[in-house]
Amino acid sequence: MTAVFGYYLELAGRSLRRHVVLTALMIATIGFGVGASMTTLTVLHVLSRDPIPGKSHELYYVQLDPRKAGGAAPDEEPESQLTRADAEALLRAGRADRQAMMVGGNAAVEPVTEGAASSALPASMVDARWTSADLFAMFEVPFAAGGGWTAEDDARAARVVVITRALAEKLFGAVAVTGRTVRVNGIAMRIVGVIDRWSVSPHFYDLTVGAYGIDEQLFAPFSTSRALQFGRSGDMNCWAYASDLEAVGAPCTWIQLWVELGSQPRAAAYHDFLVQYSEDERKAGRFERPPNVRLRDVTAWLDHKQIVPDEVHLQIAIAFGFLAVCLINTVGLLLTKFLRRSAEIGVRRALGASRRSIFLQLLVEAGMIGVAGGVLGLGLAWLGLWAVRHQPTSYAELARLDLPMLAATVALAVASSLCAGLLPAWRGCHLPPAIQLKSQ
Amino acid sequence: MLHMKDVSKVFRTEMVETHALRRLTLEIRDTEFVAVTGPSGSGKSTFLNIAGLLEELTGGEYRLDGVDVSRLDDRQRSRLRNEKIGFVFQSFNLIPDLDLFDNVDVPLRYRGFTSGERRRRIEAALEQVGLRSRTRHYPAELSGGQQQRVAIARAIAGAPKLLLADEPTGNLDSQMAREIMQLLEGLNAQGTLVVMVTHDPEIAGRAQRNIHLVDGVAADLDRGPSLIAPGTAAARPTA
Amino acid sequence: MHVRPILSALRRHRTTATLIILEIALTCAIVCNAVFLIHDRLSRIDQPSGLDERDLIRIQITGIDKTADAVALGRQDLQALRTLPGVRHAACTNMLPFSSSSMTGAARTEPGDAAPKVKVTMYMGSPDLLETLGVGLVAGRAFTPDEYVGLDAVQADQTPLPSVIVTRDAAERLLPGKNPLGQRLYILGKAPQVVVGVIDRLAPSTGGPDPAEPSYAVVLPVHYPYSIGGTYLLQVDPARQAEVLGAVDAALARVDRNRIVQSRESYAEIRDAFFRQDRSLAYLLTGVSITLLAVTGFGIVGLASFWVQQRTRQIGVRRALGATRGDITRYFQLENFLLTTAGIAVGMVLAYAINLWLMHRYQIARLPAGFLPIGAGLLWLLGQLAVLGPARRAAAIPPAIATRSV
Repeated sequence: MTAVFGYYLELAGRSLRRHVVLTALMIATIGFGVGASMTTLTVLHVLSRDPIPGKSHELYYVQLDPRKAGGAAPDEEPESQLTRADAEALLRAGRADRQAMMVGGNAAVEPVTEGAASSALPASMVDARWTSADLFAMFEVPFAAGGGWTAEDDARAARVVVITRALAEKLFGAVAVTGRTVRVNGIAMRIVGVIDRWSVSPHFYDLTVGAYGIDEQLFAPFSTSRALQFGRSGDMNCWAYASDLEAVGAPCTWIQLWVELGSQPRAAAYHDFLVQYSEDERKAGRFERPPNVRLRDVTAWLDHKQIVPDEVHLQIAIAFGFLAVCLINTVGLLLTKFLRRSAEIGVRRALGASRRSIFLQLLVEAGMIGVAGGVLGLGLAWLGLWAVRHQPTSYAELARLDLPMLAATVALAVASSLCAGLLPAWRGCHLPPAIQLKSQ
Repeated sequence: MLHMKDVSKVFRTEMVETHALRRLTLEIRDTEFVAVTGPSGSGKSTFLNIAGLLEELTGGEYRLDGVDVSRLDDRQRSRLRNEKIGFVFQSFNLIPDLDLFDNVDVPLRYRGFTSGERRRRIEAALEQVGLRSRTRHYPAELSGGQQQRVAIARAIAGAPKLLLADEPTGNLDSQMAREIMQLLEGLNAQGTLVVMVTHDPEIAGRAQRNIHLVDGVAADLDRGPSLIAPGTAAARPTA
Repeated sequence: MHVRPILSALRRHRTTATLIILEIALTCAIVCNAVFLIHDRLSRIDQPSGLDERDLIRIQITGIDKTADAVALGRQDLQALRTLPGVRHAACTNMLPFSSSSMTGAARTEPGDAAPKVKVTMYMGSPDLLETLGVGLVAGRAFTPDEYVGLDAVQADQTPLPSVIVTRDAAERLLPGKNPLGQRLYILGKAPQVVVGVIDRLAPSTGGPDPAEPSYAVVLPVHYPYSIGGTYLLQVDPARQAEVLGAVDAALARVDRNRIVQSRESYAEIRDAFFRQDRSLAYLLTGVSITLLAVTGFGIVGLASFWVQQRTRQIGVRRALGATRGDITRYFQLENFLLTTAGIAVGMVLAYAINLWLMHRYQIARLPAGFLPIGAGLLWLLGQLAVLGPARRAAAIPPAIATRSV
């Protein structure tokens, strides 16, 4: 079996070499089609990865519906975020294994160096996250030094921060800076932990500040951020007027609440708790609508939000349309290639080759073009992704070929060329044996 | 009708020079039936190609129906071929993708006849070769003899003055060959000049006049009544 | 013309003919939609903003000290910026056309939530905003200094917001047929705003899906200091732009050190960044279209060459029967034309199908019929160019082939 296969490989190689231009054309066609398709598929692949594998089915996002009764549609999607009142209440209730309320923010940061009242380094604005203590444990954030803060720190609005390694190196030139002080918006805060490289993509826990390319540098307790009036970022949706939109009683949703629930039964129980909570609030007069809660895990949440931008889907459609044309082209070229050799094939058949062996021989030839096309396609995909990385999109940095995509490229090329070769090989093996061949 | 004087044809490749025809001189009149014979390599095919304006001569003069062909460009030669000459080939050379009607139609299309005129001629030609009933069939469905008859119909549909046949019976059995010869004789009787290349002496014998080519040079072998009076400009062996 | 025999012969080579037709159809469909999308995106990119774009710079600053009086500081900032050589006007604003932040609200002609409303983009800022933007009034007057109020005061209904300036389109939409000047609109707060002026055009910040969509924009005399996200706009003499950009930080620091300048950009850069996605798509589609046409072109060359080779004998026979070289070339060109036409016919249908899918999935407009001839023309041209080589080769086949034995 393998001996015959080796013979086919040899025949294929010879045949392809004899018609260099045609072969090159077919390889180029497959290569371009596959390269384009794999570029866009890789982008989709990196954008829709699981951002926190291992915990994505234990972390859940909470949604309630505190809006006015007017204008409600049945089974309408509730608000994407929570009001401050609800978030703090659910946090206090503590019915999940862990829970964290959080919101995005920004602040000006300067180091405090010994002996100087104000630092030599100018302040820089950084993206920040104001959160309660459980975030670090829930998201399994790796620390290079120190750790997160405690629930007591949350309760008393302690002036503590966690910064990233990059920020530590920028401000102090070192990583082991726990215990040192930074000025956040002019206020001195103590560093209790330094996070090691941690990049979550997509930025599932708060999509309102962006889905990709967002990496907070600074973390502080939510209570502290409110007490010190640190800036907030992200979406805020208010359905009535209030003089202080960030107050506890304000009719505005702007806070994210994530809970950790270790098993299905616990998740179901928590869901029931949320329904009960909504019902209680309605009886108390705060909520106007019947309970309308959502509890989605990370995967379901990302799915629901459809974070992969439309433009990516459009690009995939374009690339595969292109691949389709390339394939049809290849079918045509293979057909002509094989039918031109009707004399040779006719002689082979006359000398005893069965239809099946001719079919396989021709298919092997198509497959070889696929392999070569796959290699070319790999190079082109690499180039394509290089181009994507230079686009000023939020996800540019992520566009890289990983091992599965690499294998997929070659697989796609070989599969397409084999598919393209089916019809030509079939036609080729049905050519009459030499005896019956006349001129024309 | 067909005047050749000192016609020579040389094929040159990088290494070899082949003299297919050497100073061939002959004259064929309007209503003759000529067989051109000779061993292989004698230049029969070359003679046919030149006579049929399929190739250009290297030297000498060739006049067809009074027209000096050396003055003609490719377009004019094609036109002349189309209007004055009908071809019959050894391997029939019918176009397999077209049915009989369209096959006979081919030379007429290049002639510029109206579609009504073409239809009339095609039907008449197929009638004459006895294949009117198979108009919409394809060449692959016919026997060798029938295919050759269609080829003849194609050749005569435009009422040419000269019918050039290249081994017309070469691929046929003796029965079919006789039928084809009968057709050709019939056409000649109606006034068409028939020049036939053949290696078969029996077939050649049915022609009125034989021209024998050896090494690119002609010798007349008359059989039967000669139309060439002694002393007139007739084919004679030239060195 | 020899159409019928050509069609008859093609019917015997159904597979190859179908492949060519399919390839042309698919290419035609994709290229038609691509050209349409490119046109659509390019017209989005070319939308007029309504501003005098050349001379604008935007400065974004934020304050570290939250207790500082941002309104007062803002006034001092603008004064300091005005003194910089090269700066003609300076103002503070909440947003710009084609930048990423947007403030919209609802405008009504009657009070109360139940009245029908029109979504409008609300531009707010310091008194010389319109001057700095280079937007001229087509009717009415600019705001007077005493008409300006603070945002909080308006939202808490403590102070009424007296006036508004509207764009032409907004006036026509809200008050059709009437002279807008003097009319009342309910936009912010309980009290109505009186229309005191009309400007020509001010694009909404988000650019919208349809470039022809009229800009329902209004300008309100509301202070919008940097502390809540206001940005500074400078109209500069273009020759001194670099100079100004370099001097801004120092000038602002002199007013108050406790601020950080986050960005200083020319409006051209802002606009560029906003439309980069559209530009990318346009480039991508152009690249794909050209490559697609090239691939199809080479495919046709390949298949046509194959046919020429297959029909070598036949071509010789035709020549023997009297066809000129031109006749042979024209045969192949005509055959190609027929195939291309069939491909285009199928392609048109496919183009509409693809367009319907795009409309459904990506909110793209319907493909106007005018683009179909473009796709058709391109493919006819491509086909004829591609078949030229093989057709010439066919014409060069000598008639003597006909007499050659097998």
